[in-house]
Amino acid sequence: MAMNGDSCAKEEPKTRFSTREGVYTLMPLIEYYRPNRSNFSTNSVPLNAVHLSLVNIPDVRDYSERICLNIGKELYIYVYKGIKSGADMITQIEKKMFKTMNPTCHDFNSCHASKDSIPLLVGFNNGIITLHDIIRKDIYKVFNEEKLVDNTRVTCIKWVPNSRQFFLTSHASGQLYLYNEELPCSTSPPNYQLFKSGEGYAIHVCKTKSTRNPLYRWVIGSENSTINQFAFSPCNLYLAVVSQDGFLRVFHYDTMDLVGIARSYFGGLLCVCWSPDSKYVAVGGEDDLVTIWSFHDKQIIARGQGHHSWISVVAFDPYTSSFPSDDESPDKECFSTWYRLGSVGQDTQLCLWDITEDVLRQPIICSTVNIKSKSNECSNNGEVYNMTCSNHIGSNSFVNNHLTNNNNNNKDNETDSVPSAVSKYSPPSIKQRVLLSFVDRRDGGSASNKKFSSRSSSGSDKCNTSFPIRHSELEDPMKLIGTAACPRFDQCPLLEPLIRKKISTERLSSLVFKEDCILTSCYDGSVYTWARPGKIPLFMFEIAQFGIEEVLLLKTVV
Amino acid sequence: MGRSCAIQSSKIIHNFPLYEGGNISQLEKQIGPENFPNSERYCGLVNFGNTCYSNSVLQALYFCKPFREKVLEYKARNKQRNKETLLSCLSDLFHNIATNKKRVSTVAPKKFIARLRKEKEFNNYMQQDAHEFLNFLINRINETILLERNHSKSKDALNEDKIPLEEPTWVHEIFQGILTSETRCLNCETISSKDEDFFDLQVDIDEHTSITHCLKCYSNTETLCSDNKFKCDKCNSYQEAQKCMRVKKLPMILALHLKRFKYMEHYNRHTKVTHRVVFPLELRLFNTSDDAVNPDRMYNLVAVVVHCGSGPNRGHYISVVKSYDFWLLFDDDIIDKIDHSTIEDFYGFTADSQKSSETGYILFYQSRDMETKVTNSDIRVNGK
Repeated sequence: MAMNGDSCAKEEPKTRFSTREGVYTLMPLIEYYRPNRSNFSTNSVPLNAVHLSLVNIPDVRDYSERICLNIGKELYIYVYKGIKSGADMITQIEKKMFKTMNPTCHDFNSCHASKDSIPLLVGFNNGIITLHDIIRKDIYKVFNEEKLVDNTRVTCIKWVPNSRQFFLTSHASGQLYLYNEELPCSTSPPNYQLFKSGEGYAIHVCKTKSTRNPLYRWVIGSENSTINQFAFSPCNLYLAVVSQDGFLRVFHYDTMDLVGIARSYFGGLLCVCWSPDSKYVAVGGEDDLVTIWSFHDKQIIARGQGHHSWISVVAFDPYTSSFPSDDESPDKECFSTWYRLGSVGQDTQLCLWDITEDVLRQPIICSTVNIKSKSNECSNNGEVYNMTCSNHIGSNSFVNNHLTNNNNNNKDNETDSVPSAVSKYSPPSIKQRVLLSFVDRRDGGSASNKKFSSRSSSGSDKCNTSFPIRHSELEDPMKLIGTAACPRFDQCPLLEPLIRKKISTERLSSLVFKEDCILTSCYDGSVYTWARPGKIPLFMFEIAQFGIEEVLLLKTVV
Repeated sequence: MGRSCAIQSSKIIHNFPLYEGGNISQLEKQIGPENFPNSERYCGLVNFGNTCYSNSVLQALYFCKPFREKVLEYKARNKQRNKETLLSCLSDLFHNIATNKKRVSTVAPKKFIARLRKEKEFNNYMQQDAHEFLNFLINRINETILLERNHSKSKDALNEDKIPLEEPTWVHEIFQGILTSETRCLNCETISSKDEDFFDLQVDIDEHTSITHCLKCYSNTETLCSDNKFKCDKCNSYQEAQKCMRVKKLPMILALHLKRFKYMEHYNRHTKVTHRVVFPLELRLFNTSDDAVNPDRMYNLVAVVVHCGSGPNRGHYISVVKSYDFWLLFDDDIIDKIDHSTIEDFYGFTADSQKSSETGYILFYQSRDMETKVTNSDIRVNGK
């Protein structure tokens, strides 16, 4: 756990970094900057995170992408040219200044974007939501204008997948609302009627004669605990929500059933994302950890330790991950499954993580048995957790792991221990180390693999129908410590980042993986494009002759 | 630019709305009468000229419920007292606050400050370091308890300079944790460990980090070499060694001191480090030892002493405390209800250009298992 080589010396941000697939290079000429940085008062208005939304217009050959970013009271929309061209080609499409409110989040409707229409939703710090079209200027709608629905900050806004009119917003008040853009908001404060409720959440419908916005209200978590982010699964079936109360909650979106929970190690969870195959959810938060939760097993399967501060964004890199597609039968023996995950945080660092097969295939190490053995008063609740299935194997391997881990700790306490057994099971990971000892992985591992596959058919439907969590657990997260929803450190593999690089002088606030590049942005409004290995365009080679630093220097002089 | 500490008391009386006869105070309006906790009192503290370092720490300690209860208990047990001590003055002050007729008012900690100024460390009218004061106060209270306990046991014995090693005091029970330092001799590989008590942890801070990371760095392995070699008992000589400090016993109240004042040789004085260090409302420790007694302890932030201004001996101290479900800001005699998101303003700064400099300086985290105990007992009291 010791963080070697962490010096307090001031480190300059990196302009390139190498991973096992090659060198990522910052594109110095494609840096979108806030044009006017002078009247930038921070004392009156707390800084909002600068978010990025991207959209690709179909059937347009060149420069088909648009990018939207919010900075302070301003909203910018540019033509995004990726790695294809230089800064002189930046085309600003739109700039909006807001006098009394700050845009906090936005989302293009990428499913229904066309040459003639690109709808853009924007949420504001006072709860107001606007919808306009960046091409068709006749469309402009305001929702929650009187702030009767919710007057707290919109923390996240998303179009419902494949929908032309439905969108979902989350607020600092701890509530989610579903809107239909075709409907007006009611002119009086909405009356709600309970529609459905479960442990730790309740869903209401708006009670009006004619259908009005919002259609549904989801109240999630303990009172007033801000919903920080939500994400629809790529399969469009599930909704993952993270809140300030430290919980990840995964819902079946249509049935509105809670299908799984996880708890941060401590503190609020700030960001969430799904793996491209919808099998894993990654979250990041105030515990400085990246946590990976398996949808299938409904448990935390790994934690990543490497950030020096809170994590603002987690994102899977679908282009650098390897997983069986839906059509193929998942034959685990010959197909190597692994995922690339990225994260950026308030520590100005970018971390890339490889989640390899040895982590994905690990046996379940904490289960209901642990709850029972931990304290007597929890014993009733033990049976409530049907999220982990194999009690027997689970408890055994927990003991094994626990013991070996302890031995390990005593033996090489202060050196970085790299268990030798790991290398056999981690084909892609060269630098990454799994700190937990997996000494008896080979025997136990294959046995549990069979368990995994046999469970796969029944597991998901079981959890979809009911997932009873008692409210007491949610109110007292202490009771979750040591369970699959919040394992202890020695009960769950601990990952180290493949790379960890300081890439900015300001806190980072977004991370987007694209086919040929990575985009990052930070609180001061700068947006950086990192060309992927081998994707560096020709003009960059000229720069390479002189060196990027020189070009950067030249750029700042000009 | 730090605000001046010396506020004339006459001015306060005119400006402060709480003195307006009969009216419900501003704070009560902010909180709302229905949400105002029944048994709770909020009292601002008058500044006697540069005493905000004391006011801010006292308010923070008052809202560390286990500490407050023990101090009030002490007051109840020592009705007629023979000797005035810092602890007796503190218990009088806390008693004054807790039994105040008004729900919101202002109290002048006159006796306490007068007693404090008899101590040689605080016998002037200068601004002091809030952490030094906290440290002094906690240790002095502990000594007083031990002395009085000793005194009552053997009335004739006058071994005042010898602090006996006995059962822990309530100060120990609340603030004391144990650090274990493991040292591995690089020559003979022998690991020796040594335990030491602490009342607070003093952590170095770094730019763009979290308190979690700073605490982790606190437990980083350090190599003892060259001038700083380790005397290994087994090798019977000075050897290179690796040392690591980790928490073995987690205290009930974890006080974290962010080392924001760095001595700059260049200027021959201390300057303030305004690095942004984020601290969550909920905390668990990563740097616990393998044999830790209570490694799962979950902490909640209950109070923050905030330093405003540019240097240790100038500027101003205020405190932010949690009371029931809301947060209050105590600035000497002024009390404001604040939104918990305001705490973000005290993390520190990312750019040097930013002018204001209110930064979290001492963090008080209270163990969650204690909190439930306290509220349970509260319920019982209210139930009676």
